[in-house]
Amino acid sequence: MFDFLIHGFDVALTPLNLGLAFLGALLGTLFGALPGIGPINGIAILMPLAYTLGLPAESALILLAGVYTGAEYGGRMSSILLNVPGDAGAVMSTLDGHPLAKKGLAGPALGLSAVSSFVGATIAIIGLTLFAPLLARVAVMFGPAEFFALMVFAFSSMAVMMGKDPVKTGIGAVLGVMIAMIGVDSGTGVMRYTFGLAELYDGIDFVVMIIGLFAISEILLMLEHANRQDAGDAMPPVGRVMVSLKEVLYCKWAMLRSGVIGFIVGVLPGTGASVAGAVSYTTEKRLSDKENTFGTGDMRGLAAPEAGNNASAAGSFVPMLTLGIPGSGTTAVLLGALMLYNITPGPMLFSERPEVAGGLIASLYIGNIMLLALNLPLAGFFAKVLTIPRWVLVPAIAILAFVGVYQLHSDLMAIYLMLVIGIFGYLLRKLGFSLAPVILGYVLGGLMEDNLRRALSISGGDMGILWQSGISIGLWIAAVLLLVLPWLLPRLLPGKSPARA
Amino acid sequence: MRIAADRILGIALIGLAAFAAFKATQFQVTFSYEPVGPKAFPILLSVVLAALSLVLVFRPGEDGAWPDKRVALKLAAVLVVLLVYALLFTRLGFLVTTFFAVLSLARLFGAGWPKALLAGVLMALGSNYLFTLGLGISLPGGHWLPDFN
Repeated sequence: MFDFLIHGFDVALTPLNLGLAFLGALLGTLFGALPGIGPINGIAILMPLAYTLGLPAESALILLAGVYTGAEYGGRMSSILLNVPGDAGAVMSTLDGHPLAKKGLAGPALGLSAVSSFVGATIAIIGLTLFAPLLARVAVMFGPAEFFALMVFAFSSMAVMMGKDPVKTGIGAVLGVMIAMIGVDSGTGVMRYTFGLAELYDGIDFVVMIIGLFAISEILLMLEHANRQDAGDAMPPVGRVMVSLKEVLYCKWAMLRSGVIGFIVGVLPGTGASVAGAVSYTTEKRLSDKENTFGTGDMRGLAAPEAGNNASAAGSFVPMLTLGIPGSGTTAVLLGALMLYNITPGPMLFSERPEVAGGLIASLYIGNIMLLALNLPLAGFFAKVLTIPRWVLVPAIAILAFVGVYQLHSDLMAIYLMLVIGIFGYLLRKLGFSLAPVILGYVLGGLMEDNLRRALSISGGDMGILWQSGISIGLWIAAVLLLVLPWLLPRLLPGKSPARA
Repeated sequence: MRIAADRILGIALIGLAAFAAFKATQFQVTFSYEPVGPKAFPILLSVVLAALSLVLVFRPGEDGAWPDKRVALKLAAVLVVLLVYALLFTRLGFLVTTFFAVLSLARLFGAGWPKALLAGVLMALGSNYLFTLGLGISLPGGHWLPDFN
């Protein structure tokens, strides 16, 4: 059953793909280290370029996946050194990472986080190898009705797990789906919400959407941060990046547990690295914080979220590759990138395009080792990236965004659209929305409608088909439970939450 | 009732939902083999959006920190720079527009004139060569120079 992996290593070990995996790891670490450019922005900026280069699908995916996993490594830099998370997944790494750096242990902290990232990612990649083919075999039995129920489940798990405000997560997802409605309806040829603009007939292009939503809104947010007074204290010296075996062994249980937790959180559709970091940190704190040292620079408090967020990055490939349902905002973008190549990930991917699925998984193994090898000796160099001033960074993002969008169709309309979407994304972020649900809704919206309509045309319009099979009933129940439980549990167990009101 | 950013947003989104639903009822379906046409899904979404927005109107969250006047002006300036960059992108060509865009953005993000000029020249030239020679992307050359070829 591991034929796909052997075949995958054949693909991943070609010189081109090895080089791309390395390039992805390097660029990803850089992007992750740069404040404001997380994995999504990095992929958004690189995707049009990868597409232009005429890379085959599996090579482009290897490059972009390298950027994704690399960015999860790089995100810790500014968390530890500056107490500013480089991306959402690295928020929990500030809690114990920065106190460690203040104690003069910046080097060991960076080393430890690289090792824990490696351990977490390795656990999750092995999990992905074992679990994905099994899930794909189950997923073959999915019909349109089951897929529709699965997407409802994905959206409800996203609403509960992601962000502080489930209502805003829901609104963001609905807005994303509505944006996906724009353009010609594939079933009937009816124009929807195009307002007579010929440029909108094909819908809003994926590249335009993510570059506008993430890169342009990031430029606007960076301007605000640049004008804030509290931004950043002086960077503590990194010193030599060394972590002793004793320190690693001290954290071994934290790493292993968090790796497993991170993988499970990553597999759940709609929940990404930020949730994984938070869950693994709080679990580890509950289990092993006997002397109340967490939050004051406990090594385990850094190892746990680092292992967790890297594990979730790899874990979120499971639903993306097997079901076509992205496990996180970033895999939603990767899914969109695959669709540019006319590949729709899903249960058939492992049998029909084994070079894509296997090549990607094999390259994750290789990339993970490369990342460890890059990050231990070069942490000092990557830390220098943090000192790149915004007046260099912002124009560079602007140029890449403009060229990336312009070269799609040599069309100015796409650039105007990108700017409008950028303002929209900026306003959403200011209003407390997370952008990941919007992009998930945008990617899944079309599929969701297609599956609903296909299911209902099979049944001749009878809604009953939506909850006919065991799988779909299970998914509906799981979706409803997820939405109801957080609200119901505290009411059922009045004794467990003392004097909250 | 307290005026909160979320309330305004909620009301605006209900308006959007109503508009989207109204537009959906106007879709002219000339033929259809399927029981569910192109109208149902947008209308369903509009209902969900309106319901969620109602929650926002009645239970708004905290008001975030909004930029003060000075920062808001700068934000507008950045947007104007990007818009002008887009407007002139094909007319004046990549090199010239990129130089001015980088120059103005660097100035807006706090670089002094010498640094901003240097950044403009280096990034315009560097990215031009990277894209055209390195990646084989054809960039707009502009319509104002005489054709050298």
